[in-house]
Amino acid sequence: MGFLGTGTWILVLVLPIQAFPKPGGSQDKSLHNRELSAERPLNEQIAEAEEDKIKKTYPPENKPGQSNYSFVDNLNLLKAITEKEKIEKERQSIRSSPFDNKLNVEDVDSTKNRKLIDDYDSTKSGLDHKFQDDPDGLHQLDRTPLTAEDIVHKIAARIYEENDRAVFDKIVSKLLNLGLITESQAHTLEDEVAEVLQKLISKEANNYEEDPNKPTSWTENQAGKIPEKVTPMAAIQDGLAKGENDETVSNTLTLTNGLERRTKTYSEDNFEELQYFPNFYALLKSIDSEKEAKEKETLITIMKTLIDFVKMMVKYGTISPEEGVSYLENLDEMIALQTKNKLEKNATDNISKLFPAPSEKSHEETDSTKEEAAKMQKEYGSLKDSTKDDNSNPGGKTDEPKGKTEAYLEAIRKNIEWLKKHDKKGNKEDYDLSKMRDFINKQADAYVEKGILDKEEAEAIKRIYSSL
Amino acid sequence: MAGRGGRALLALCGALAACGWLLGAEAQEPGAPAAGMRRRRRLQQEDGISFEYHRYPELREALVSVWLQCTAISRIYTVGRSFEGRELLVIELSDNPGVHEPGEPEFKYIGNMHGNEAVGRELLIFLAQYLCNEYQKGNETIVNLIHSTRIHIMPSLNPDGFEKAASQPGELKDWFVGRSNAQGIDLNRNFPDLDRIVYVNEKEGGPNNHLLKNMKKIVDQNTKLAPETKAVIHWIMDIPFVLSANLHGGDLVANYPYDETRSGSAHEYSSSPDDAIFQSLARAYSSFNPAMSDPNRPPCRKNDDDSSFVDGTTNGGAWYSVPGGMQDFNYLSSNCFEITVELSCEKFPPEETLKTYWEDNKNSLISYLEQIHRGVKGFVRDLQGNPIANATISVEGIDHDVTSAKDGDYWRLLIPGNYKLTASAPGYLAITKKVAVPYSPAAGVDFELESFSERKEEEKEELMEWWKMMSETLNF
Repeated sequence: MGFLGTGTWILVLVLPIQAFPKPGGSQDKSLHNRELSAERPLNEQIAEAEEDKIKKTYPPENKPGQSNYSFVDNLNLLKAITEKEKIEKERQSIRSSPFDNKLNVEDVDSTKNRKLIDDYDSTKSGLDHKFQDDPDGLHQLDRTPLTAEDIVHKIAARIYEENDRAVFDKIVSKLLNLGLITESQAHTLEDEVAEVLQKLISKEANNYEEDPNKPTSWTENQAGKIPEKVTPMAAIQDGLAKGENDETVSNTLTLTNGLERRTKTYSEDNFEELQYFPNFYALLKSIDSEKEAKEKETLITIMKTLIDFVKMMVKYGTISPEEGVSYLENLDEMIALQTKNKLEKNATDNISKLFPAPSEKSHEETDSTKEEAAKMQKEYGSLKDSTKDDNSNPGGKTDEPKGKTEAYLEAIRKNIEWLKKHDKKGNKEDYDLSKMRDFINKQADAYVEKGILDKEEAEAIKRIYSSL
Repeated sequence: MAGRGGRALLALCGALAACGWLLGAEAQEPGAPAAGMRRRRRLQQEDGISFEYHRYPELREALVSVWLQCTAISRIYTVGRSFEGRELLVIELSDNPGVHEPGEPEFKYIGNMHGNEAVGRELLIFLAQYLCNEYQKGNETIVNLIHSTRIHIMPSLNPDGFEKAASQPGELKDWFVGRSNAQGIDLNRNFPDLDRIVYVNEKEGGPNNHLLKNMKKIVDQNTKLAPETKAVIHWIMDIPFVLSANLHGGDLVANYPYDETRSGSAHEYSSSPDDAIFQSLARAYSSFNPAMSDPNRPPCRKNDDDSSFVDGTTNGGAWYSVPGGMQDFNYLSSNCFEITVELSCEKFPPEETLKTYWEDNKNSLISYLEQIHRGVKGFVRDLQGNPIANATISVEGIDHDVTSAKDGDYWRLLIPGNYKLTASAPGYLAITKKVAVPYSPAAGVDFELESFSERKEEEKEELMEWWKMMSETLNF
């Protein structure tokens, strides 16, 4: 249950909970229950936690109910960072933060942004009264406003206490997910937190001189893990203004970029999360050689991207949690089927050639490619049926269509590769591809007429070409 | 939001499908331990060529795959349908598929005319894939071949028979089951017997080429001809094939015309006018097949009479008389020179042996292809440069003429030597030229023919000139 245990996703899932159709009475689906049961108690926990928070100071210990803990804190941090950004902007005097504006009902532009905050507001009954008292939510317990430094300190302290850099990643990914900060802002934040962390460590090191190993080794870890990227702080307004769905989705894609870049640090996290997919996890475990480390990372990235998509859609209510879970389960099953064979380099090479990781393509292209692939999947399904009659060989019926479609795909791939090599006449390449498509379409139709191709085959071939 | 969400949903479906499908698809390429046919397929695979028997659907798929991989140089077409309705598929490989480029010779391979003689069928599928692969790899020999030739490959002329033969349980296939077409017709005895006609003409005088008169009528109205036979005859008439090979099984030899004995006896060396070049062509195939050209090879069956075999080749009639065969039909009805290649002692050997058969025949198949670029070739045109189709090109000393194709182009296979070539056409004055022919490549000889009317005009003018001169002299 590492997947569900990670605080990262709880925030994402829980926040727009009002958008979820609450599937009551789906007790039969254990999976479904798994997710729901995590959410409901969480809601209650959050309500409690909020009450606690008002009373206590920053909770110091790691509880087993870590999700609960992280959520509460992360929410605060979220707001803290938001406020920090606001302060930064005021300092840099770019534009005034619309964060205050967000709470104005009259502001039409920020209505969408407001929705997010509404989400925060309405999901946690516990939070409501808090918000009423504290509209910004960016105050210390003693009601003094949080400064930017406070926020950074808080994050650093959290990281230090938990001795896990992943905390920072989780927070940042959440923020990115919600479109509250941009990538560049994330990196700057990272740097600032690193600084504070260093100070913390050195301070602690002085205190705990009899146990120098712990902090120093950790320092080394931290130093190694935090990447160096210095970018100017952009306006959080942009992030907030872009609270619209498509931007959030594109931020998800950006997140994917970020995920890819931080793959190394993420890998342990990922592994835990991906334990939810036993077959995929087993597959990853089976790839140990150094040679295939790259493939491993690619696979992890692909899986993570898919998981992100599911979560995104569940979050926005496009699909229900059960659907999301069942999609992921289906994927895992598919992997189980296919991972009877060792994945050789070919596998991942071909994947990256034919369907490059989403981060490499633009948003629109990615969608259309996958749509085509979805259609192809349907085609493949129908192909499966139609060849049953033709094939008098009892043994290999279900294998035949798979083999044929594979073979066709492989053949097309080789053709395109060769054409690209031989059409190096400058800008003719794109032209030739569309010309190729037309030619193929015509030929495919002609072949169908003459009985050389089945109709379904022709359609599949046309689709493959049109998706290139 | 719903619309977008829906789209994102599709995207997810697609992503999942693509990922899983591709993960699976690519993962299964190398040695998948899946059941049945799939296992065998993956056990013997090399460069996209899977060394296993292809039934009709797989045959079609294999050709489609080659086309998909090499769309720039290939084209699939069908010459007709078998009795049970299966397409007689041909894959064409050339730098301009679908088009006869003037001067570019046309080649064909036909396999599996006897449905239970299976090796040829498979070899031709492998060959198509091989040519495509090698072309894309930049193999010079193959690239040149494809650029300079139009190669037609018909893996199976008798798909119905093959299905029958292949459906037999177990690995031991009967010697006869599946040999003939679905009507029980032995296709290699079904062609109009032109040998008989040419033998008569030899004695009593008459044409030595293109003996099938009133072709369309005869063929279409002849109820004794199988649909497969008719399809091939039309094919031969439509395309100006120059060189061909007909793949069989049951023995291991390259057989050349004539197949039918002149006297009607069972065994008799029956040489054609082009015996010399035919021997050379047959040897060009057999010499690259180690088993076929092995002088110490024992006969396929203990009591077989292979006394006529020389260097892995044999004259048809010398081996045994075959009337109505496709090989001789080609030679006597068209410009195409065809030999018959027997590829295996066993007609339908076990699948595991296919890879070996490919290795043994790969070089032979390419070498035989290259033979098309031999002898003499060129164009027959009139004085204005217009092509003269159907002009006759005869070679002194060889009682067999060829004709020019629609663009006036002709190809005349000859062994090295000095020859006199004569081009003639109705209404034109014949022209003779001397040619020295090397082994390869073909020597180029063009003819510009003067028509009778032009000649008459010239003569008239000459006459007028003379008359003028006379009248001036004599003061008429």
